Amino acid sequence: MFRRHGVACSALTGSMDARHGVVAITFLAFFMQVVVEASSWWSLAMNPLLIPEAYIIGAQPLCSQLAGLSKGQKKLCQLYQDHMQYIGEGAKTGIRECQFQFRHRRWNCSTVDNSSVFGRVMQIGSRETAFTYAISAAGVVNAVSRACREGELSSCGCSRAARPKDLPRDWLWGGCGDNLMYGYRFSKEFVDAREREKTYSKGSIESARLMMNLHNNEAGRRAVSDLAHVSCKCHGVSGSCSLKTCWLQLADFRKVGDLLKEKYDSAASMKLNARGKLVQVHNKFNPPTGQDLVYIDPSPDYCVVNKTTGSLGTQGRLCNKTSEGMDGCALMCCGRGYDQFKATLVERCHCKFHWCCYVKCKRCSRTVDQFVCK
Amino acid sequence: MLDGHLLLGWLSFTVIVYLFSLPGPTTAYFGLTGNEPLSILPLSSQPEERVAKAHYKLCDRLKLEKKQRRMCRRDPGVAETLMEAITLSVLECQYQFRYERWNCTLEGRYRANILKRGFKETAFLYAISSAGLTHAMAKACSAGRMERCTCDEAPDLENRKAWQWGGCGDNLKYSNKFVKDFLGKRSNKDIRARVDMHNTNVGMKVIKAGVETTCKCHGVSGSCTVQTCWRQLSPFHEISKQLKQRYETSLKVGSFTNEVTGKGDISQSRAQQQQQQQQQQQQQQPAVLGPRDQIPRTMDLLHIEDSPSFCRASKYSAGTSARKCYKDKNCDAICCGRGHNTQSRVVTRPCQCQVRWCCYVECKQCTQREEVYTCKG
Repeated sequence: MFRRHGVACSALTGSMDARHGVVAITFLAFFMQVVVEASSWWSLAMNPLLIPEAYIIGAQPLCSQLAGLSKGQKKLCQLYQDHMQYIGEGAKTGIRECQFQFRHRRWNCSTVDNSSVFGRVMQIGSRETAFTYAISAAGVVNAVSRACREGELSSCGCSRAARPKDLPRDWLWGGCGDNLMYGYRFSKEFVDAREREKTYSKGSIESARLMMNLHNNEAGRRAVSDLAHVSCKCHGVSGSCSLKTCWLQLADFRKVGDLLKEKYDSAASMKLNARGKLVQVHNKFNPPTGQDLVYIDPSPDYCVVNKTTGSLGTQGRLCNKTSEGMDGCALMCCGRGYDQFKATLVERCHCKFHWCCYVKCKRCSRTVDQFVCK
Repeated sequence: MLDGHLLLGWLSFTVIVYLFSLPGPTTAYFGLTGNEPLSILPLSSQPEERVAKAHYKLCDRLKLEKKQRRMCRRDPGVAETLMEAITLSVLECQYQFRYERWNCTLEGRYRANILKRGFKETAFLYAISSAGLTHAMAKACSAGRMERCTCDEAPDLENRKAWQWGGCGDNLKYSNKFVKDFLGKRSNKDIRARVDMHNTNVGMKVIKAGVETTCKCHGVSGSCTVQTCWRQLSPFHEISKQLKQRYETSLKVGSFTNEVTGKGDISQSRAQQQQQQQQQQQQQQPAVLGPRDQIPRTMDLLHIEDSPSFCRASKYSAGTSARKCYKDKNCDAICCGRGHNTQSRVVTRPCQCQVRWCCYVECKQCTQREEVYTCKG
């Protein structure tokens, strides 16, 4: 990024005209914008693309308007118009799951703005970055596979997966399963497009980051496909299981999040070797498989606000006084101490089912102690 | 009437004598809480005529106070018992804390720094030190290693009247007396000294509460018409488990000055009192004494300050990086969110063991891969 900046600078110093100067400034501003924000296709989650009909009419302009897509991704967008809505939904699911899994930790996967989504934190190749890449790739697989099954996409239908070998003989294989194959392939094409279209010199930091991103995306997709299971429905005589139909179903995304969180805990620290490949920093530990997450940089300090690393700090976060873990006030507040507030919680209570067919609840309020980091 | 100068001279002399006899805050306070080095010193075998003086050397190697050294020299078994008590306490402490962030590492400056502050961990160290010493001393008496004490001579044992012989119970009475003299009574009004004394007493009380009467029947064809009973201390493992539970429910105390009389006093901090009151309303426990009294008379350990988190290396511990953890149980807790590394190891263990007649056990060797998890950071 800085090299291109330098080239632009030297080219412009030749002509010292005022108009050229204005052009130069706008040119520089454009490049600086790209350096600082590094927007990503995750921005599709933030700007909801709710109107599928809009794609049919004048489709081309819409794809180029979407911020954060790389060149390859824009081309795919033009080819597969109807998929973009589901990519956005997949990214949103991924971000939501990330925020759920990290709700008790110092970095809580909070989104900063609408174009780079997570801010400058993603430019550091830390474990948190690895998790985010993996879970968003997984989210896309999930969303596209489900959309195929629902019949929303024109280029795919129900799953055509082969019948598993261990299924009992008298069970029927059919139904309409989630099209995992298609979702996996599409996610691979789309999410990896940004990484694949760039080439960096062997042994540079950018190439290490590229390999790390590709590995983590693959880990995310594999997590979804490993957790997909056979689901059956009994529809024999009066609902008995004499007749059973089975199909392939994707696991609940919460389980995918849990699995990836475990992989995050045991992620492997990598570095570039002399040949330009990623190898482990410490040889004695188990080498990472295709399903493990890898990272190249140590995590920055998420305790304090730091504009360079993009950390938001933990000031103002809620903490749990009685917990000894990461969400306890000692660790969350990083030793700065905490303030105590009384908050009124209003919630639904005394819910009753009325015939037919609604539930009516009363509202109860109670005061609880809340602890906020200084 | 004494002359002015002479009076001054006598006063200064008595003051100096008094100051020297006061135990300073960093003087040797035995066990895990002392200054002596914790290496296990082997007793070298010495010829008969020098065995009387052999334990003097050992007593000198342990950095004891004057009174403690005198007690050590009086009886040759004491030195060995002291060493055993330290070993026992250290091993138990490390065993009980093996799954916690602070795993009772007492090397180097860590012990001295922890003892300077009033954490829950300090309270535990004081309690387990005194408990270890009491236990070791009582066992040494009944094992015959000491010259000045033998089996339990409590007159209230039931078998004394009816039966000719009795078992050899652990002599808790002598042990308590010894430990009280050895560890001394601090008359400082300092809150820290009083809390330490309280924790030491808790250790001794837990041992006392764990005494069981064991009987052995040896009447006609094994019936209990004739039985021998004796008192035995519960195994030190149980005692340390209890002390660990007390460590977890340790109470925080603070001192406040009574503004009317100007005297200092010790009470539980407000927040803990409120918490306790809430708990009592739910559980109906007997109330802990209020703020007007001296140290609350409880069997709980007391501490003055909140502990640090022991996650990072500090002057209190080496931190939790490279600590071994167990993936399903406590890797999240120990590693403080930093994650863990996995290492595969091939382990050979004996398996499928069978008893052969007569009388040995034959085992096959099984190799299996096991994963070892260590904290990152």
